[in-house]
Amino acid sequence: MIEVEALKKYFSTGILRKRHIKAVNGVSFQIEQGETLGLVGESGCGKTTIGKSLLRLIEPTGGKIIFDGIDLVHLKKKELRRIRPRMQMIFQDPDASLNPRMKIEDSIAEPLKLRGGLNKVEIKEKVSELIETVGLNPEHVNRYPYQLSGGQNQRVALARVLAVNPDFIIADEPTSSLDVSVQAQILNLMQDLKRKFDLTLLFISHDLEVVRHMSDRIAVMYRGKIVEIGIVNEIFDDAKHPYTNTLISPASLEDQLIYEDIKDAGCVFYPRCPFAAEICCKKEPEMVEIGRGHWVLCDRVT
Amino acid sequence: MSLLTITHLKVLFPTQDGVVKAVNTVDLKIANAERLGLIGETGCGKTVLGLSIIRLLQPSTKIEGEIVYKGKELLRLSEEEMRKIRGKEIAMILQNPTTSLNPVLKVGDQIAEAIQLHQGLDKRAAKEKAIEMLESVKIPSPEKRANEYPHQFSGGMKERVMIAMGLACNPSLIIADEPTKGLDVTIKVQIVKLMKEVSRRKSMLFITHDLGVAAEICDNIAVMYAGELVEYAKTEDIFKNPFHPYTRGFLNSLPSRGLKQIRGISPSLIDLPTGCRFHPRCDQASAKCKIDHPELVEIENGHFARCLLYT
Repeated sequence: MIEVEALKKYFSTGILRKRHIKAVNGVSFQIEQGETLGLVGESGCGKTTIGKSLLRLIEPTGGKIIFDGIDLVHLKKKELRRIRPRMQMIFQDPDASLNPRMKIEDSIAEPLKLRGGLNKVEIKEKVSELIETVGLNPEHVNRYPYQLSGGQNQRVALARVLAVNPDFIIADEPTSSLDVSVQAQILNLMQDLKRKFDLTLLFISHDLEVVRHMSDRIAVMYRGKIVEIGIVNEIFDDAKHPYTNTLISPASLEDQLIYEDIKDAGCVFYPRCPFAAEICCKKEPEMVEIGRGHWVLCDRVT
Repeated sequence: MSLLTITHLKVLFPTQDGVVKAVNTVDLKIANAERLGLIGETGCGKTVLGLSIIRLLQPSTKIEGEIVYKGKELLRLSEEEMRKIRGKEIAMILQNPTTSLNPVLKVGDQIAEAIQLHQGLDKRAAKEKAIEMLESVKIPSPEKRANEYPHQFSGGMKERVMIAMGLACNPSLIIADEPTKGLDVTIKVQIVKLMKEVSRRKSMLFITHDLGVAAEICDNIAVMYAGELVEYAKTEDIFKNPFHPYTRGFLNSLPSRGLKQIRGISPSLIDLPTGCRFHPRCDQASAKCKIDHPELVEIENGHFARCLLYT
């Protein structure tokens, strides 16, 4: 359904805008129809940048994004707008991503109005249907986001997304600002909706346990690169990349505080890797397949 | 003997919409060298409880009950006397270091401020002590870092600065409010390790919603729901044999325990349910749970719960 090849996004910084931050540095993956791919990594590793690039909410520096056979990177603005309803995104902080001056009802109705083809009565009906689908009460429609809890606002965000009947949803840390018990409610709801509407999901999170629960396959990201990708059980039972292992059992991590500037040559994880050898700082490793669909970016594994 | 004894503590905020009952009759003891975890979800009153101990709540707040620290009744002390205890005897490590640190002061100076105030050192000596503190929380090249501003520090590093500041005057009691909130997994592990180290032989009230972190650090755990304690026990008992349905639900909603949700949402602290505060969300609630408000009773040796199922 989605095919990403050598995706790159560089941000320019410095006074002369000549220094580049390689937020996403040559990332490739596919997501099958109906599948959930989990994307994990620490803050600043480029997960959100990937999510936004897929929708071209930010323009990628290079690479290919194919969605259902359509090349998104070279699409014109107008054509892009036609295709966007099929791909939607849910953001991290629901309190910040909803318009504080819009009633819940209007927030959910907005995408329906933009899509057109429905009259006022039909929109109203559709809104109450969506409200029910995401588990809100009818009395919530006349309230404002500040009158609802974080979990309820995230349900509103879900209703907005579902309003346009998407095929593919990018969920960017949808529960990281929620309490544990509310997180459970939202994650369960997302899984129900996924089944009901036959959705394909890219689930971005820094919480490995949450990703494990939600995904069919997991991609682990470190400093702009995917370092390991495979089906959930393989990643948890048979992780090969040293960084994946640190994420799974962080207790093994030494008190390492050095965060060196990235060098062009060598492995991205080299400065923190307990198994680093001389070759690791000289030659950039390549993705190798070590099992069925299980890829690792590490020269020491092979 | 206990270092801190809280009896019948009530904290009420009068607002336009009604009285917010943030803490509702809490009794709690912290012994010497005990690390007590206070667990609960957003808005259950745990931070307010922490702030009421060092009296940092706004003046309009109504506080009832007693907080006795080393024989002194904290709620009766004058502001002058309280200032001598705050930071020196009882220190609080606030949540969200990004907003808690002063952005226009050098990190070293911020730590030195408290040292100068409480230990009577001159400016230079206080600065030296501040650098020592930065070193003790394992910040590399502390001399250089002491002259930097908060925005030059990462989230985990800022948290270390907050911890250094809290420990600067060698307090007997540390109140740590969600020190691991918003940190990456790998950084969290480092901060937990550090908290364990620095709180050795000290008393600590560790406020968090992260059960994993609490299990790692605390000797005992108190679970808070809607302004009151619903369960209290040794850490291992809370995890192995939770009594209260809320504690059980809370544990089961963790992704690692199967993500079983508790239905409904936490009640508003203005309009609390009658009877047991948890009854609208409880699967085991019976008719009398709607009427009778249960007391916190000892069910097994040292294991307390507030639930009619056990009375």
